[in-house]
Amino acid sequence: MRITVLGAGPGGYVAAIKAAQLGASVSVIEETEVGGTCLNWGCIPTKTLVASAEVLHKARNAKDFGLELDGTISPNIQKIVERKNKVVGIQTKGIRGLFKSWGVNLIEGRGVIVNPKKIEVTKKDSLTEEVETDKIIIATGSKPAQIPIFPFDGMKILSSDNAINPESIPKSLLIIGAGVIGCEFAFIYNEFGSEVTMVEMMPRAVSTEDEEVSAILERELKKNKIKLLKDTKVEKVDIKKDSVSVQLSDGKTLETEKVLVSIGRSVNSKNIGLETVGVKTGQRGEIIVDSKMRTNIEGIYAIGDVVGGIMLAHLASSEGIVAAENAMGGDSAVNYDVIPAAIFTSPEIGSVGLREKQAAEKGLKYKVGRFQFRGLGKAHAMGEITGLFKIIAEEETDKVLGAHIIGPHASDLIHEVAIVMEKGLTAKDIAHTVHAHPTLSEGIKEAAEDVNNAAIHIPRK
Amino acid sequence: MYPENLRYHKEHTWVKAMGKNATVGITFYAQESLGDIVYIELPETGSTVESNTGLTEIESTKATASVISPVSGTVIEVNEELSDTPEIINEDPYGKGWIAVIEVEDDSDPDELMDSSDYEKYLEDEVKLK
Repeated sequence: MRITVLGAGPGGYVAAIKAAQLGASVSVIEETEVGGTCLNWGCIPTKTLVASAEVLHKARNAKDFGLELDGTISPNIQKIVERKNKVVGIQTKGIRGLFKSWGVNLIEGRGVIVNPKKIEVTKKDSLTEEVETDKIIIATGSKPAQIPIFPFDGMKILSSDNAINPESIPKSLLIIGAGVIGCEFAFIYNEFGSEVTMVEMMPRAVSTEDEEVSAILERELKKNKIKLLKDTKVEKVDIKKDSVSVQLSDGKTLETEKVLVSIGRSVNSKNIGLETVGVKTGQRGEIIVDSKMRTNIEGIYAIGDVVGGIMLAHLASSEGIVAAENAMGGDSAVNYDVIPAAIFTSPEIGSVGLREKQAAEKGLKYKVGRFQFRGLGKAHAMGEITGLFKIIAEEETDKVLGAHIIGPHASDLIHEVAIVMEKGLTAKDIAHTVHAHPTLSEGIKEAAEDVNNAAIHIPRK
Repeated sequence: MYPENLRYHKEHTWVKAMGKNATVGITFYAQESLGDIVYIELPETGSTVESNTGLTEIESTKATASVISPVSGTVIEVNEELSDTPEIINEDPYGKGWIAVIEVEDDSDPDELMDSSDYEKYLEDEVKLK
């Protein structure tokens, strides 16, 4: 069986390795760099910037920990970007090494599907190569969506791709869109010294998260003196010599050095031959697939951001495994009910399953348990007491329906609940499990206990 | 601990009326139960607030809580000092630890507020027994 994967991002490279493990002869076609957006312009680069910002923050607050710091500490953006590039380099090398070890053939160039059995690749040296295949997995991903009237210029109007490679720290940064990406960059640039203003058309920040989580994050934005203008749109942008003038729907005009546009991502489904072979796409160009990641064309699968929906690296990887297994004759499907998600704001956010509002909208009878990070000795020891654990369970069965954590290490903590949900376990199952002391994980236990009003470290209500 | 020139709300806020303007803050009991206050979200000047609803949020090392407004009206001044040094609420809840000045609406009813002796009695009889 010959399988060709179009795109070597977190969806494509995982699909390729899985298919090779299952015995296929695999080629991967990649136009830019293995690892895709996640590794080169997304998850990993931003997390290295977050790490620099965190060390900076800790150093600036060293006296809270009884430490004396002589002199000042300031970000050196060139060095920070160098470190980021080094981290990314280690990861891309790792993927290339895995390809080699599993015998995956990496073809560097742009692939266009000619027919369901053939892809033509235009390589960097303009030579073309035809790849014969039995099955195709499309994993071409997405790119930052731009606003047509003021497209990215990389200088004053930035995309997230630009924002991870700054040459300098702008004095002021206006971020359009207070979603996941906008909020992550807001905390990073704020710590590096930019005066940050966010403009969001929705009534709250990270509007895909649980409302209580948004409220806590908004308070943290305020504490950090990051301005958030909600229910506000950008009407007009006037690019001047040294600044950008941004006119808002509330009538105000703001002057800013740079603008970061983080209004979402658009799928990469153009000019890859979909029309030629008749692969169906939806309104936003997303490839339409079934739960087994099959397109309407026999033998062509699609995974990751290009199929639209929730754009998460780890979801793309899961879909990649499912597509590879099915291409090899299996019968797999992704469980979309249990997809943990992480946001690397300060503090972090981790979530899985239903938001409370979704549970209510579905007409479910549910109960909610909460526990605050400030109730944990470990959080006080760490000096990071802001945050909340929230667990939602079904009223009758006690089965966990969702969990929302905002606080230090929330992105790691959430997975305990993800396993509980994957296995259909209850809040009482969590509560009955001994949790080590002193850890932040104790907060999950307390919140699970609170689902049934039995938390030890919450005063009588 | 509960000055006689102030009026008190059952959710442990105080109000000091000066004509149409009312200064509000949290009571000694409130700051003591919260413990060390680490943050208060300052209400925005120009925003309106209804009595018995949240004026703003306050955070201590132990808890987060809503500051319940004792009056209805428009916030005309906030205590900016609190943004960097919220601990002055612990140190001086009725003086330097004031939170906001609210221009009171005509129809807001201060009768539901308690005087200091009623508030102290309320604390003894209802709150502290819980």
